[in-house]
Amino acid sequence: MKIQIAGPGCPRCITTEKNVREACAQLNLSADISHLYDVKEFAKLGVMITPAVIVDAKVVISGKVPTVEELKKILSEIK
Amino acid sequence: MIKNLLISGLLALKDYIATHILTCLVPAFLLAGAMVTFINRESVLNHLGEKANKIKSFSLASVSSFFLAACSCTVIPVASGLYYSGAGVGVAFIVLWVAPAANILALTYTGSILGGKMVISRIISAIFMAFVVGGVMSFVFGKEKREIAISQSESSKTEIISKSDLILLLLILLSLLLPNYLIRTGSYKYKVLVWAVFTFIMVVYALKVLDKQKMKDWLNETWWFVKIIFPLLLFGVFLVGVIGKVLPENWIRNWLGGNGILPSFLATMIGAISYFATMTEAPFVDTLMKLGMGKGPALALLLTGPGLSLPNWLAIARVFGIKKAIVYVPTIVVLGTLVGWFFGNFIF
Repeated sequence: MKIQIAGPGCPRCITTEKNVREACAQLNLSADISHLYDVKEFAKLGVMITPAVIVDAKVVISGKVPTVEELKKILSEIK
Repeated sequence: MIKNLLISGLLALKDYIATHILTCLVPAFLLAGAMVTFINRESVLNHLGEKANKIKSFSLASVSSFFLAACSCTVIPVASGLYYSGAGVGVAFIVLWVAPAANILALTYTGSILGGKMVISRIISAIFMAFVVGGVMSFVFGKEKREIAISQSESSKTEIISKSDLILLLLILLSLLLPNYLIRTGSYKYKVLVWAVFTFIMVVYALKVLDKQKMKDWLNETWWFVKIIFPLLLFGVFLVGVIGKVLPENWIRNWLGGNGILPSFLATMIGAISYFATMTEAPFVDTLMKLGMGKGPALALLLTGPGLSLPNWLAIARVFGIKKAIVYVPTIVVLGTLVGWFFGNFIF
């Protein structure tokens, strides 16, 4: 599973990444997690409102900091 | 000397905290949190991607930007997202300008500190500048070819905001505006009283219509704004206190007083270069006005302060290309100067 976090480096985006990692750890999920900082890339992925979480090229969260619980639910559904 | 400076900074802080926390800041942060939580920004943006004629798409872009509470840094992904998903270059730059320069949060906050006339002027001039900027950008770059990303969001026409959330948003607006409009003179206690009454109504309503999760999201978002903006705000107020002490009053009166072209230009440049987070511009301008800054230059600073900053120029150049930044920034500077001069001489 490939998880991308899109955020230009704001505190909210950093928390989002932290929560994604935490959720994966709790689910024992070995995902390829990366954080995108280039705003131009966001547009290509279809992200306008940051922070956003993209799982396997699909935007699942946009415009808010997801909680660990929320992420666990989304990730286990996709898995 | 340094001790004196610190003391005047701290005094400014004390004064500001004592008279703003309850009646201005608390409702403003709640409003900011509510806008992020309750307004479906994706759906606001969906309306902007559509190709329409210029007047229609420009007006739509200007008005929508009011609800995208954002400071100049967070708005860049939104504007670039619009641009690369096919919206006109004019529309993208209108959002880039209006969202930080005149969002609802900044406007109501300006209103509670500087009064209604200043707010209306801020709205009118922000929209006027938006149309000119949009026009200039599409005139210069409209024919340019670009890669358009395929948007993957299913264009679901979800509503922008539900009715009950909208009412809640209005109640928060009232609790921010009324204490400062109803009680113009008299003791601060009365302001707190009005604030308490409306906040009580707002809380009761919120408890009635919001489910637990939404309530939690709202408070979380509010807390984010507090964490991010509050320190900047305090630092800004402290800095103004110090600046007010360092600069002789007649210096400010000489350079920023009156409503000539030069003070207006200087105010615009101060605003265009330095970074103001949303809301921090209002107390800053308020203090400068008390020290003798003219109303026209004040308006120019209110607009360009949050609307533009040096980091913001660089980010725009990186995302949209240097050429667009080179056209955009001077256009705003010229317009800001003219607007400050015009309003200062003919309106205020």
